[in-house]
Amino acid sequence: MAADFVAIEGRSRNYYLAVVILAALVFFGFFCFGWSYFEGHQVFGSSNVIPWGMPIVLAIYLIGLSAGSLILSSLTYVFGRMEYKSIARMAVYLAIVLIFGAMISIAVDLGRPEKFWRLFMFFYLNNMTSMFAINGILYGGYFVISLVYFGFILAGQQTATKIMGTVAVLWAVLVHMGTGAIFGFVAARDAWFSPIKPFEFLAAALTSGMALLIVVTVLVLKLTGRDIKKDMINSLGRMLAIFIIVLALLIFIDKLTHVYEPAREATIYMLFGPSSWIFWILQVGLVVVVPLVILFHPRWGKSIGGIVLASLSVVVGVFFERYYLVIPGAAYPMPLYPGHIEGVYGAVGLFPIQWAEMGLSLGIFTLLGLMFMVGLKYLETLSPKELVEQPVNSPVESPATAAQQSS
Amino acid sequence: MARWGMVIDLDKCTGCQACSIACKSENNVPFGSPEENTRRITSYWHKVIAASEGEYPAVNIEMIPMPCMHCDNPPCVMVCPAKATYAREDGIVMQNFRRCIGCKYCIAACPYGVRNYNYKDQTEQEYNMPDLPPDRSVIGPWPYPHRSHGVVEKCTFCFHRIDAGLKEGKKIGVDVVPACVDACPTRARAFGDLDDTDSEVSRLLAARGSFVLREEKGTRPKVHYLSK
Repeated sequence: MAADFVAIEGRSRNYYLAVVILAALVFFGFFCFGWSYFEGHQVFGSSNVIPWGMPIVLAIYLIGLSAGSLILSSLTYVFGRMEYKSIARMAVYLAIVLIFGAMISIAVDLGRPEKFWRLFMFFYLNNMTSMFAINGILYGGYFVISLVYFGFILAGQQTATKIMGTVAVLWAVLVHMGTGAIFGFVAARDAWFSPIKPFEFLAAALTSGMALLIVVTVLVLKLTGRDIKKDMINSLGRMLAIFIIVLALLIFIDKLTHVYEPAREATIYMLFGPSSWIFWILQVGLVVVVPLVILFHPRWGKSIGGIVLASLSVVVGVFFERYYLVIPGAAYPMPLYPGHIEGVYGAVGLFPIQWAEMGLSLGIFTLLGLMFMVGLKYLETLSPKELVEQPVNSPVESPATAAQQSS
Repeated sequence: MARWGMVIDLDKCTGCQACSIACKSENNVPFGSPEENTRRITSYWHKVIAASEGEYPAVNIEMIPMPCMHCDNPPCVMVCPAKATYAREDGIVMQNFRRCIGCKYCIAACPYGVRNYNYKDQTEQEYNMPDLPPDRSVIGPWPYPHRSHGVVEKCTFCFHRIDAGLKEGKKIGVDVVPACVDACPTRARAFGDLDDTDSEVSRLLAARGSFVLREEKGTRPKVHYLSK
């Protein structure tokens, strides 16, 4: 069992260079956070119209990415699909890093981050009708469950891993639906209020998580000089295509219900307003059109390069889907009184790009990259380079591995 | 227990903004700057919006003064994770700065946009007074110590006036009213107990047609408007 997974060496010049660059950016992000903490959120772009900015975009994006990884690892550890075993450990570790990043993002978006602990005083200091308090349970539990699950995998306890994997996957579904409910249950904002939001978030999470896993897998295997199994990437690509179709359907239904109802101004603004190019090009284009064209193309859809390109497009596009929901989704003024509201209270909200906010977002991303790289060095997450040549000891895994060898 | 409510007569309102100024002065809300106002990061515990209908020359503009609606069914209290927003027994929706973690969920959930996030530490010259009003020796300790950035603020129906007035045995709605009601030059506003059939607000609501804002959201606001 111990020989199945190894850590990377991590002594090359490029590795250290990457770590130093990432650490510098993390430091800059931390500086930006300190700036916002002492100066107040005026250094961010958010306002009383658009209450949430980039950190919340990042939070829901990272939570989404986390899911796909975890659910994919369950294919191996819960459903016994051994063809994904070589990346399953890395997937779980990626999920843990990403949910950690999401919690950090929420913490830095709080006006009083030192009171972060108040979100975790369940049933005592918390108002449990709040979706934030419920999500406190969901996110905290998800983090703990993933850690325990990863611990069992590293310890090689198969039965315990299977049980924890099942719990983790079911919990992940709750986490994403809870995140969608933060927006879907807000009746005041017409563009958000929708019972379909939790399901849309779940689909977006699966899509983006799967896409990120494909990108990271190919990147890590390539940079560490390992073999990339084309079959595995191909089957992941097919799954990705299915998730994209489901997501596209849910986005369509969501927009349709909002346009069909009479109070449709906010959605019309989102679909055809001045910033609608983000929706049509970056969201619909990058999440749905480009990847589906590539994945269903007879030649591109079979090549690793094509699948990685499609996945990259999805990873970037889902980020803009989140961005579009959180920021322009809140920008349209609320219909406080019939008629056109004059002046600043009837104007669409502004969201200036502020360097502190962008630096903070960059810092969070690089922190996650750093954690992931260091984790690969000190945790046994990758299959060894000589896996194909090695005889397989474990009787459970031998048929699947043999099948992989023959293909 | 009383159920404090406000009635605003739109027929008498001239949109002079005296109520907004009085609110800023009474509750020590900072002025902000024109740039901050364009970005909408200034605090307005009370604001007056202008809603126009039609094209010139057949145009009608309504001035709608908007304090917090102090809903009977407040969405902000529903979504606050830290119990920082709560409804008092007399129906005033309060914000406890000490508990508020600044997640801004209540700003997203409020259908009236009356909640304000404090985006910066206020400089000394932006204050009307060095600390929150009124004299602490009159009403005892506040539910929160100082104004700091990173928390959400809102209208309190001038609860400090009401509490002090009740302690002194004055009649609320006649002798003691919130600052905006006090300041109104045309007496367009009335304040009082909505459950008390003898109060001025109940009398006004019974006598004339009234409405509340965004009634379809089911929040049941305690600020009622008498139509023109």
